Amino acid sequence: MHLACDPLSALFLAILLPQIVAGALGAERRSVFFWAFAGGMVLAVLAAEAFTLLLGFELMSAASWVLVLRGDRRPATLYAGVAMFSGACLLPALFLPPGGIAFSLILLGAGAKAGLAPLHAWLPKAHPAPPAAVSALMSGGMVKVALYVLIRYGFVVLGGAVQPWWGTALIFAGAASVLIGALRAVLEVELKTILACSTVEHVGLIAVGLGVALRAKALGETDLAALALQGALLCAVAHGLFKPLLFLGAGAVKHATGSSSLDWLGGLMRGMPRLGGLMLVGCFGMSALPLGPGFAPEFLLLHAVIAAAGTGGILARIGFTALLAVLGLGAALALGTAVRVIGVGFLGRPRTLRAAAAEDADKPVLWGMGLLAGLSVPVALFPGIVLLLLNPVIAQLVPGANQPPLHYAPFMLALLLLIAAAGTYALLQRLASHGEREVHAFNGGFGKPPAWLPFGDPLTQASGTGFAEPIQRALGATILGAKFIDPGESYVLDPLRRLNVYFTRAAERVRRATIRQRLAFLFAALVLFLAALGFVQGA
Amino acid sequence: MLHAFLALIATLIHTALMFGLAPLLMGVVTKFRARLLGRPGPPFIQPYLDLHKLLRKTALIPDTATPFYKVWPFIVLSTTAVAALLVPSFCFGLITAPMSDFITLIGLFAAARGATMLAGLETGIGFGGAGAGRDALFSIFTEAALLVLVLTFVLIAQTPTIDGIGRVFGGGHVGLSVSLGFALAAMLGVALTETGRIPVDNPAGHLELGMVHEAMILEYSGRYLALFHYAAALRLIIWVSLIGSIFLPFGMADAGAILFWPVGLILWGLKLVFASASLAVFEVSTAKMRVFRVPEFLGVALLLGVLSSVFLFVAQKLGGS
Repeated sequence: MHLACDPLSALFLAILLPQIVAGALGAERRSVFFWAFAGGMVLAVLAAEAFTLLLGFELMSAASWVLVLRGDRRPATLYAGVAMFSGACLLPALFLPPGGIAFSLILLGAGAKAGLAPLHAWLPKAHPAPPAAVSALMSGGMVKVALYVLIRYGFVVLGGAVQPWWGTALIFAGAASVLIGALRAVLEVELKTILACSTVEHVGLIAVGLGVALRAKALGETDLAALALQGALLCAVAHGLFKPLLFLGAGAVKHATGSSSLDWLGGLMRGMPRLGGLMLVGCFGMSALPLGPGFAPEFLLLHAVIAAAGTGGILARIGFTALLAVLGLGAALALGTAVRVIGVGFLGRPRTLRAAAAEDADKPVLWGMGLLAGLSVPVALFPGIVLLLLNPVIAQLVPGANQPPLHYAPFMLALLLLIAAAGTYALLQRLASHGEREVHAFNGGFGKPPAWLPFGDPLTQASGTGFAEPIQRALGATILGAKFIDPGESYVLDPLRRLNVYFTRAAERVRRATIRQRLAFLFAALVLFLAALGFVQGA
Repeated sequence: MLHAFLALIATLIHTALMFGLAPLLMGVVTKFRARLLGRPGPPFIQPYLDLHKLLRKTALIPDTATPFYKVWPFIVLSTTAVAALLVPSFCFGLITAPMSDFITLIGLFAAARGATMLAGLETGIGFGGAGAGRDALFSIFTEAALLVLVLTFVLIAQTPTIDGIGRVFGGGHVGLSVSLGFALAAMLGVALTETGRIPVDNPAGHLELGMVHEAMILEYSGRYLALFHYAAALRLIIWVSLIGSIFLPFGMADAGAILFWPVGLILWGLKLVFASASLAVFEVSTAKMRVFRVPEFLGVALLLGVLSSVFLFVAQKLGGS
């Protein structure tokens, strides 16, 4: 077993550590499997040779399988299947000579583990199953380890044999993940499933960045490669902070109200103000708004794609234009998702008595979430400094690249915003009336609800499904089909299931054969063998 | 040194005019619309009077609102205000010019929209939720179309800032092209959606099933409603100035050349009048769309945006070879 820590390993270790601490604070510190899971991830990231890497990777998969199994049995089987698939792809790939086959196997193996389309359908099922702290680590950490393997092999180990189509394949997979993940995230109702779908989207964003970088590296455009890598790695850092935060919060919501379905929540901001505030921070990051941790990576990625569209063949340029439209769709859908989680779950009227009576989460969970929220402030306000820290990593992945300066100055922007808000407040204090009266909501002139509905009729308030209905009608039906089934499900998992049934039936038929059928089979085989022998002899 | 000082003065004038004239522009559009419909219409300064009236009133806070109820209007107004500082009006070279990256501007608009949607969901009324869901749908297409347009602009101008794009387009080396024609059409569609005008949304609508922006702020009153109204006015002047400084940047002064400021100011005023007149004509001659026709309308805008970049690629290919 060999360990080493170069800049790339150090970066991913830095992404993993806060999540592990937050997850341990979150409740899982007494579970052996949790620590085995965390240890496997650290081992995979620190490995200096292929065997150790695979050992860590498989330890991570096995331990997380046990943890998923504890939550729910059905996705656990699917999860084990996917883990075995990625292991089976990675095992030969790590020992093959550098080339296209090795990269394809790495892409399949690591992509399946990271939840890249079209091998993503398991992720929204398996990630929400275990306890919240484990879900947090799976979505924020495990996915990053898979991407680490992809980066380590695509850029470093197989770096000498890099071809432009490697990047193109990654871009296609990433763009499909962004579109499907973002769309499903805004349509799902279960809080943890929403977050898992959003993870698919962010993995797609990172993959798009990596793909652009890999393609540019193969074509010799090192500056563009550096820009795209900046975006991808910063996205990994930011996602590693806000996604575990949100998962921990979703777990706390389930603990407090007994449900994490948006249609059973509402008005939690009153009962759980601290948790609500922290969730708001997390959703702010998820939505890629300016001054949030998610904006700088999105900004860099968009500029990388714009730069990539500036050169090359006309087909590639049109492709990058379409990619830009997909990224725009994804960003707006992510904003819709974040607004929906906060607006439907935490604002408005409670939809159940349990949601109305919810009390704030336990101290340790809040501390864990607070740690992640606190760490996301410097990432959000000083992305330039984080990019400086990323410099050695980029120099390792794309030697000889000039790193472009960042044209987005969130600190100045924050200052301007603060001035604007403070000025407005001061003007209102001076000019406006200070009168305030609490009244029953106007609600378009609706009458007061009856006394047995203390928070009004829940049906008169937009539910999670209701909020997403316009999007479902206009976009969901086009992309997900009339029945809203994930393409990864209908085109990958379902054919596999059918194949499984087919082979099972065939095996069953052999097992159930009568003695006559078996004798006839043996006889036919013998005749065929003799005939073949005779042909060979005759020739 | 002198240049920086002049830029500072120009920025201050820009700020004062943007914030001061925003309600007036709204009033001018309303007046023009009324005259076209044969009514005398309210006076030009009616929006100022309305704001003044709202500021004096007691704010009614719904009992189902959370403490964030009072925060959303501030976020909406301050993000829109920062966007107003980034978009050039009568001259280029404001001190905010280096920050005026187009993608940052799109992000600021998105932030304002997110806060408005949350304001709509805040009290848990049916109208607010419906409006927020519809706005989320519209934003998907506007954001995609805007990003594709940014691609076209950046590839022509070789700079991502609005200031730089306007300067290059005003420099006269670009000329008329099919690509920019498509871009203008797409931009106008996006602008109508973002500012909530007919045919996408009716700014004068109250309590009708098709309303979007008004539905989200239905529960707001008094000074908080004034903030939303003012932000809407600001958004209109921002979009007019944005389209003006990208597609009609001719005659815009440089912040360092103080002698050209009056020309720039007069031209900006003319642009505002022209924009409000054409907006009024367009609004009285078009019917508001059904909500689910809007995605089709915006899909056309997105398509035009993609076409504009495709034409650009073809033109560059032909020009290069």
